[in-house]
Amino acid sequence: MDSRIEAACSFILQSPPGEINDVLNDVRNIISDDETLEEGLLPALKEYNLEQFITVDVPGTEHQSIISEAARLPASEDGQERWIDPRSKTSFVFNHLTLDASDPQPFEPDADAEEFRSALEKAALTYLLAHFHDGAASVFSKQGTQNQYILQIVANKYNPSNYWSGRWRSEYIIDLNENTVEGKILVNIHYYEQGNVQLSTKHKISITLPSAVVTSPPSNAASKILALIETEEGKYQTSLNDTYHEMSEKTFKGLRRALPMTRQKLDWDKVLGYKLGAELSSSKGTFST
Amino acid sequence: MADLVDSMLDLMRRLPPTRTEENVSALIGICPDYADDLLGSVDQPLQVKTDRLTGREYLACDYNRDGESYRSPWSNEYDPPLEDGTVPLPKLRKLEISANEAFDTYREMYFEGGVSSVYLWDLEDGGFAGVVLLKKTMTPATPQEPSGSWDSIHVFETAERGRQAHYKLTSTIMLQLITKKGSEGDNSDNEKKSNAGEKKGPENWKREGEVTLSGSMTRQTEQDWPIHDGSSHITNTGRMIEEMEIKMRNLLQEVYFGKTRDIVYDLRSVDDLEKTRRQRELQKELLGSFKR
Repeated sequence: MDSRIEAACSFILQSPPGEINDVLNDVRNIISDDETLEEGLLPALKEYNLEQFITVDVPGTEHQSIISEAARLPASEDGQERWIDPRSKTSFVFNHLTLDASDPQPFEPDADAEEFRSALEKAALTYLLAHFHDGAASVFSKQGTQNQYILQIVANKYNPSNYWSGRWRSEYIIDLNENTVEGKILVNIHYYEQGNVQLSTKHKISITLPSAVVTSPPSNAASKILALIETEEGKYQTSLNDTYHEMSEKTFKGLRRALPMTRQKLDWDKVLGYKLGAELSSSKGTFST
Repeated sequence: MADLVDSMLDLMRRLPPTRTEENVSALIGICPDYADDLLGSVDQPLQVKTDRLTGREYLACDYNRDGESYRSPWSNEYDPPLEDGTVPLPKLRKLEISANEAFDTYREMYFEGGVSSVYLWDLEDGGFAGVVLLKKTMTPATPQEPSGSWDSIHVFETAERGRQAHYKLTSTIMLQLITKKGSEGDNSDNEKKSNAGEKKGPENWKREGEVTLSGSMTRQTEQDWPIHDGSSHITNTGRMIEEMEIKMRNLLQEVYFGKTRDIVYDLRSVDDLEKTRRQRELQKELLGSFKR
């Protein structure tokens, strides 16, 4: 691959939340070869969208759906890639550059999985409303397997006029064969007023489901699973406070003191005096040449 | 079309600070002609080098670079050696030696470790300019201990006007903090809050995570200070830099531990938002019934 395209793809994949268009504009200016770029960047844009749980307004629905690997349908014979919104049972075509969905068509879900999937979805949407200011959640039944479900949550806040943006992503793979939940929470914050400060967190969780949960009827089991996730995410969020405290008290203070041990600012005349003795003070005259 | 360098700088302001070096070299690969512009305007983490003559550590950046070599402030020698490497004129070099000693004291007082270096150079209009560099790294003894690094780059320019000197100071601080956590079963991390109320078959849980706060902030100031003799430039810039670092340390604390945390809470609420909404509805209803 053209090394310029390779670099451009890497920049795209590093875009902070909500700033992909800014990064794209910068990259276009820097490379100034739109034709090569457009084609070359498409795989990176797609990877970014899938990784970042980019949301899309599915035509004919009132909600947002998540674009991710789990939402991808196996390629059809004509080679066109389609994505699903399990909530509205719709499949659609997605443009990774414009982020538009088109050509909605009814989608027939896996009948065996649908009862549990929709129970999880219902519980997840309740959870979403309870804890996220502005988020989207999707629940997929994992393609090609049985009794495995993928719950994804994403919440974004973009505030370019105050120079910050943030994204919370979580994903849980609920496996009713093994009775486990494998989850991860990823938070990215960008603050860029006269600077560039980024918070990036990664948190992995694995939970073994109590048998009482697994044997309950789907709607009960789903609420119990979401209750576990709610507890875990709440705990994680509060534990971040402890991490902040530790970083501020230990690492930050350990790197640089607020004031010297003397609790006073330096006496610069003394600093020079100690170090230089008579040498400099005797050499009068300034350094203008 | 917007200016190329502006686009590069805008890009660098958005991409993760942890990957600055990699991204700068990728940009130079794309536009080799702009290497100097980029290296001169994007602050990168300072490299620690060891002076071959004195054995002392010093800091390398674009300001003490000549070609592929870096000059040490202690021996004034370039490494790898250069026959005609740029060095300050003798008078300025003398001031540079004193400045290095003074800021070495400053470093010890505030950083209690780390490395400092000061480089000075003559300006064409008769004044001079300089950079004061400070770096401290905390390397954890175990993977669970937090790690971090602090890099200060203070660039100043000065021009004398009679018994006064005018100083222009641009300060950048790069700060990186990393904490790794892992726990199996219980929440032994949280001794402080006794989670008495929570019982949750702890053996069923396994967690591991990493939190990285990284970035840089830049601020500028211009001030006039009196000069009595040559060494006044050291006390003046010393006071300005000390003041600036105190101010920026507060700012960093606010942004790193305040702002980014607030934004996390703007995304997700620990409390149940639905409950709050219902309570508000209820209050409205009550209020309405009273008014009737």
